[in-house]
This record gives sequence, C-alpha cells and structure tokens, in this order.
Amino acid sequence: MVAFTLDGRPVSAPEGELLVHAAARHGTFIPTLCHDDKLDPYGGCRMCVVDVEGAPRPLPACATRVAEGMVVSTNGPITEFQRTLTEMLLSEHLNASPGGRPNELIDLANELGADAPLMLPDAKRAEYDDRNKLMGYDPDACILCARCVRYTQEVMQCSALSLEGRGGHARIVPTWELSWLDTECELCGGCLSVCPTGAIYEKFEEGTSRPERQLEQVRTTCTFCGVGCQIDLNLDPQTKHIVKVTSKDEYLPNEGNLCVKGRFAFNFVHHPDRLEEPLVRGDDGELHPTTWEHALETAATGLQKVIAEHGSQAVGFLSSARLTNEENYLIQKLARTGVGTNSVHSCEST
Amino acid sequence: MDVLRLATLYPELPRERTRLLDNLGRVRREVGPITMELSDALADHMNIRRGEVHEVVSFYSFLQVPTDAVRVCTGPVCDCLGARDLLESTPGAIEVACLGHCDLAPAMTRGDEIVPSVTHSTNDGPAVDLGSGDDTLADYAARGGLALLHELPTLERIVEELKASELTGYGGAGFPTGLKWEAVSREPGPRFVVVNADEGEPGTIKDRYVMELRPHLLVEPTVLAMRMLDASEGYIYLREEYATARARLQEALNEFRAAGLLDGLALELVVGAGAYIAGEETAMLESMEGRRAMPRLKPPFPSQVGYLGRPTLIQNVETLAHIPAILRNGGEWWAGLGTRGASGTRLWSVTGAVAKPGCYEAPNGITTRELVEEHAGGFTDEVGAVVPGGAASGILPPSALDAPLMRDGLQEFGAGPGSAAVQVFPTSYSPLRLLSETMRFFAEESCQKCTPCRIGNRALHHLSEELQRGEAVMTREKVDEWLLAMEKTSICGLGQASPFPVRGAMQHWPELFEPLEHV
Ligand SMILES: Cc1cc2nc3c(=O)[nH]c(=O)nc-3n(C[C@H](O)[C@H](O)[C@H](O)COP(=O)(O)O)c2cc1C
Ligand code: SF4
Repeated sequence: MVAFTLDGRPVSAPEGELLVHAAARHGTFIPTLCHDDKLDPYGGCRMCVVDVEGAPRPLPACATRVAEGMVVSTNGPITEFQRTLTEMLLSEHLNASPGGRPNELIDLANELGADAPLMLPDAKRAEYDDRNKLMGYDPDACILCARCVRYTQEVMQCSALSLEGRGGHARIVPTWELSWLDTECELCGGCLSVCPTGAIYEKFEEGTSRPERQLEQVRTTCTFCGVGCQIDLNLDPQTKHIVKVTSKDEYLPNEGNLCVKGRFAFNFVHHPDRLEEPLVRGDDGELHPTTWEHALETAATGLQKVIAEHGSQAVGFLSSARLTNEENYLIQKLARTGVGTNSVHSCEST
Repeated sequence: MDVLRLATLYPELPRERTRLLDNLGRVRREVGPITMELSDALADHMNIRRGEVHEVVSFYSFLQVPTDAVRVCTGPVCDCLGARDLLESTPGAIEVACLGHCDLAPAMTRGDEIVPSVTHSTNDGPAVDLGSGDDTLADYAARGGLALLHELPTLERIVEELKASELTGYGGAGFPTGLKWEAVSREPGPRFVVVNADEGEPGTIKDRYVMELRPHLLVEPTVLAMRMLDASEGYIYLREEYATARARLQEALNEFRAAGLLDGLALELVVGAGAYIAGEETAMLESMEGRRAMPRLKPPFPSQVGYLGRPTLIQNVETLAHIPAILRNGGEWWAGLGTRGASGTRLWSVTGAVAKPGCYEAPNGITTRELVEEHAGGFTDEVGAVVPGGAASGILPPSALDAPLMRDGLQEFGAGPGSAAVQVFPTSYSPLRLLSETMRFFAEESCQKCTPCRIGNRALHHLSEELQRGEAVMTREKVDEWLLAMEKTSICGLGQASPFPVRGAMQHWPELFEPLEHV
C-alpha cells in the first residue's frame, strides 16, 4: 500500500493502482470516456486529467498509477478542462442518439452545462450502412475514443474494426470498410457494449421505440450454452417483451462479454412458432398438445420398446449444448445406469 | 495480379512486426500503391491482424499513393510563393503539407526527383561546417573526421564536454544533450540509439542539408553513441520525401561498413511514409514498432522506456552533427561560439522573402535581421511577419526583427526558437492567411488520438479561415479557453504548442481578431 493525498485528504491505495480507480474507492468520481477496465490504459479523451504536484501539466487519471507521496487534486480549476473538452467533442457530435443506447457524452454535457460553441465544418463523416442485421453504426455519433477498436484487438483478438486515417479525416470503420459480415467479425456485439455514445447500436426487427434507459432489466443466465454467462434481459415496460440483452463488467464468468447468440438471439422467446406445451404424435400422424405426464410416459414407453426388441445398445443419447453441466451429468446418468448404454454425446463437443 | 507479384516477394519480406513499415514501403515501390488486397496479403504473411495493417496503411500519407506521383508542397512558405498556382497548373498533382524543400519554394516532387533541382545555399561554419561537402568517407577523414572512432573517448568525457558546451537538442524540444546521454547510460542494457531524421516542421531544411552535404558527419557520432551505450542496434528514421539524403546516407553507411567501422553493430535506415507526427519521438518509436505513429503517454520517457521497451537515446540529426566538433575542440570552445549570452552555433533554415534562401550555420543569439542580412542576402520585400522556428514556434511581427532568436529574446513576443526555421513573409501575405495555413497543417497532421488536438486545431483553422472574411465563429473567451485546454491537456508537443501561433497572431495583430469581440 502507498499513501498519497487526494484533494487534501491523506488516503492509501495498493501500489500501482490506476488513479481513477483509487479515487473512486475513496469516493471521488473522475469522469472518463475512452477508459474501459477491460482495456489497456489509453489516455486519449483527456476528460480525466487531474493535477499532480510536480508534474509539468495535468495527467490523465485513467493512465497514471498512484505512487507514494503523490499529491493529487481533482477539483478546482482543473474541472474547467472537463467542460472545455466536452464542448470540443460536442462540436463534431452530429447525432447524439442513433439507436437508443445511453450516451455518456451527453450525460457529461448536461452535468457540466456544456454546449458546442460551434459545429466544425468537417464534422460530417461519410455514412456507413452495413448489410448485417444485428449491428448498426452511425459515424456521426462517434467520438473516436477507439474503445470498440481496442476491444476487438485486445479482448476479442479479431480484426473487425479499424481506426482509419489521421487528423480530421480519422474515423472508425469496419476493416477496409467492408461489411462486418466480410471481416473476421463474429457479431458478438462487444464493440457496441463498450461504445460510450451509442454510435454502434443494436438493429432490431421487432424492437421498441424506447431508449435503453427506459427498459426494465431482469438478470438471468444465458441459456445458450454451459458457460453460464450472466445477462440482463431488457424488457419494454409496457409489453414486457424482451427487446435487448445486455451484460455488465461485474458479472462473472463473462465480465460483460457475450457471444452473438447470447446478445442477439433472444427473439425465440416471443416467437409465434415457439412450442409452449408438450406435443405427442397421434395415430393420425399429427402432433397434439398433451400433458407432461403423458408426453414423458410416451417417450419412456417408446424407449423401452426399442430396448426390449433391440437391446440397450440400440439407444443413444444426444444432449443439447444449451444444457448446464449438471443437466448433462444427469443425461449421462440416465444413459449409463437407466438404459445401460455408453452412447452419449453432446452437441457442444463438436 | 498485384497480390501474385507480392507473393514472389514473400521470401524477402521479414515477418517481425518491426519490419511492417519497411515492408509496406518496399511493396509500394516494387508492386504498387498499397490496396486492401496487398495490405491483407502482407498482414497474412506477417501474421498480423488485417485490421491493424489497415490502420497503419491509412495513417501515413503516401502508402496508398504511387511512388511516381507528383506532389506539390503547400506549406506556408510554398503557399506564400505560389504553390496554389503550381498545383492548379500541374494536372494530377497531389497536395502535401510539407516537402522539406522550402528553400526551393514553391517545391514539387516527381517521384524521388525534386523540382526545381536541388541546390544548396550555405556557408562555412565553425562546428558543422557545411560550406564544402564531403563526397566520400576519405574526404571526411581528410578533414579530421573519424578521429572519434579511431580513438574512442570515455563516456564520462563525452558527458562532461556535452554539459560544458550547453548543447541542447535541435529537434525542437531543447533538452540538454549531455544529460540525455548520461540518463540513457545509467539505465540497464540492452539499449538502442535512434536518430531523428524525420524533419517535418514546415520551414525546416537543416537536417536535410547535413545529410545531403555531410552524411558522414551524422554517421560518426551515431556510431560513437552506439559504442558508448553498448547499443548493438541503431536506426536512422528518415522522412520519405528525402530521396537524395536517403541515397547519400546509404552510401555513407556502406563506406563505414566497408571500413570495418560498423563491426558488431547494425545501423539501419528506416524510411517513413509521410506523417509529420512521426517526428515526435514516441510516435517515431510506435512507427518503428509497426504501429500507427501515435505518441505515447509520457512519462515514462524514451531514455527509460523506448524502442521495444528498452532505454533509447533519440537524437536529432543536427544535434549529433555538432558533437564531433565539441569533442575535438572542447565543450567550452563550442559554448563560446554563441552570442548575447547564448552558447554555440546552430543551423538556421532561412526561407521566404529573402534573396538567398538556404541553411546557414550562425551563432545562437543572432537576430532575424542579422541572419538575413549577413547570410541570406537580405530581405527581398517589406517584412510582414516572421515565423522564427517552425510552425509551432509562434508568429513574430516586423518589430521583432532585432530580437535575439533565443528563448529569452522571443518570450515577450510569445514565441520560441523551436527548430530554427526562420520563415520571412512579405506584407502582401496576410498574417491571417499564414495562421490559417499553419493551423490547417496541424489539423491535418494531428494523429487524432487526443480530443484537444484533434478538434482544437480544426476549430482554429476554421476560425482563421472565417476571420479572413471578417466572420467570427467563436467568442474570444471561448478561443482562450480552448487554447488553454489544448496547451495543458494535449498528449504531445503538437497539440501543446499549436496554440502558440494563434496567441502570437492575436497579440501582434489584435485588429484582425476584432470580430471575435462582437459575437
Ligand atoms: C509534433 C512534433 C514533431 C517533431 N518533429 C521532429 C522532427 O521532425 N525532427 C526532430 O529531430 N525532432 C522532432 N521533434 C522533437 C522530438 O520529439 C525529440 O524531442 C527530438 O528528436 C530529440 O532529439 P534532440 O534532443 O536532439 O532534439 C518533434 C516533436 C513534436 C512534438
Ligand atoms: S497532441 Fe495531437 S498529435 Fe499529439 S497525441 Fe494528441 S492528437 Fe496526437
């Protein structure tokens, strides 16, 4: 632990902790836009600059580590820079809400009372329309914090997005401006989840017109595979339909990361073709609704008939990747001890 | 087709990430401008993600441009001397921010060839002495060169003499050279030596003069630094536009190698691809490591954490070129060459409205008038404004012609000596036009990483454009706030220093900024 001074108060923190985190633990919130705990310190947006005694100029709290005896001030005239930097970002922020996702720049602007004093004549960026059905991107809402690009490089280790060009021509595009579908992108939506302004957003076929913040969140476990990622189902408060899936950095085991299925493939829940009750095929060859007791009974009878006629080796079990480890355990138990076959497989293994 | 031609090159293209820029330059020269297909193929060959190569290719100005393209310089001096007309009358020419040939303004390049052809206007001087060049290593040795390598001084002596000389870095930041050598030598090895030959500050031509006229004078102290710091690898990062310097340096390196003077050392040229910001030392390291040339956060400084994370001595070409004279005649001797309390000489790039634009060795502490009248053949026009040391150094009014071109002398004018690129503008060239062209340069050359520089410079360019029409797009109060935020919160010297010319213009020509008061 090292001792340092934060706004006149003597405090301590583990050596090497980032100032922005140490300050937060001591109740001092320092605004950031380009910072993301999942990524290496970047220090690009400069929103988090603080005064450190002895440093020739303010230092970014997101990339500066605490050291013994450091004297840091986060309030006072330094906060003027936050307002000015916000004004700057606003002066090329032509679209504040392309897809209803939260916009932290606008939050900051409201908090600090910052307005754009002018709009830059070259603020308008070339439009980008991707033929994929899941993610949209409006370059006019992008603040070039590069969190999305760094996420693809540092977390996903894939080549989906690029920070292209420099100066006023710089912009973020899917690599070589291809469609995401033609890059290495797996449409996991991670770039979208780290975007602080909602420039990358979910495209919905059947969605809601409400912004994300008006949705109700219900935490649950993703049902797609055994990893058990923690997710928030976002419900339209009126229809109670799931309109979006999000996750949070503090959720384990996935730390806010999801795959394309977990994030985007939720529309089966309200799909009209979804089975809502057990069905058994009758003598007429058609499926008829029935009770669980009858359905299980029918399945068991069928299995027993096969075993009686052809032996237990004639039966195999194929379990779903969507089951949990515990459920998969029970399937093999049923196969081995109930039926007496070793033919057990799970589609997860392929 | 191009990809197939690239495939035949694969065996010769190394796969280390540090060779990315080299490989891209080579593919551009031997196959063609870098397209998506070439970029992706090279990425696959080098096992780098395609997106990261795309990012690098798009960062530099020239990788997607054919090698034989015609480029017209529209830097401030060229702009003042007719670059726009040249651009219009040259079909197919592309506009570039600066070609580093302001003494030939308006300058243009056709492939590697400079138009008009290169001539040098320079003088004999006590330290760098560019008056007569060296054609071969033997010429250089005949003038007393190579003495340092034949009888290596101790590191202690070098540091002592450098400190006594008060030599400070001539790349623009002015850090004491003796302290830098000492600092790097105290860090644990392995260490690297990098020569900053990216000379990109508009108006600055001095490093090119050294490399074109006396390339051996750069190589000798570089080799000395490598031997003193036990650096087995050294690099000279040269801007792409300097084709003559490239050839001369390559020849000089071959001569040193043939003479056994590089035994045990690898000293190589790294050729840039068109990005002013790559001259910032940490951006240069990023560029050498195969990434976009975006500056790193400092601290740590390159003397501690530099190339590939190792302690690295980064020194400007001219800084190094003074060292042989300092070690030959002593630090105190060199310090005594200055005038008005300043130490030593330096190479002044003098361009614009002067009779003999060129590069002259003259004492530190000299004034603009002395420099122009004693060396550059006098003014050719009534002086309207002077930029004393490159785009970021500020803008001076004619009343500053007799101010010594040193930190103390320029302070009251809101300027600094920068890279000693003295650019003289006639009264016919409006200070607002000069400001606007300067800010356009910064806006286009900003690496874009940090908010204040990426957005501030574009806003100030827009502001000065509109002011030329008598319109104000921001209040004076906002302009001041934005300038302060740029100066204080930008990551590197580009954004930190680009407010200088704006503040200077506002100080010296307040009437031109009058509209800001009535928003
Ligand atoms: C935007 C920017 C551009 C720079 N360009 C150059 C350059 O072209 N050549 C150079 O030697 N130094 C340049 N520098 C300064 C270098 O960062 C560094 O200070 C210098 O190379 C150190 O060498 P010196 O101590 O010998 O001057 C630049 C700095 C900044 C901020
Ligand atoms: S000041 Fe400009 S050039 Fe330097 S890091 Fe920031 S954006 Fe890049």
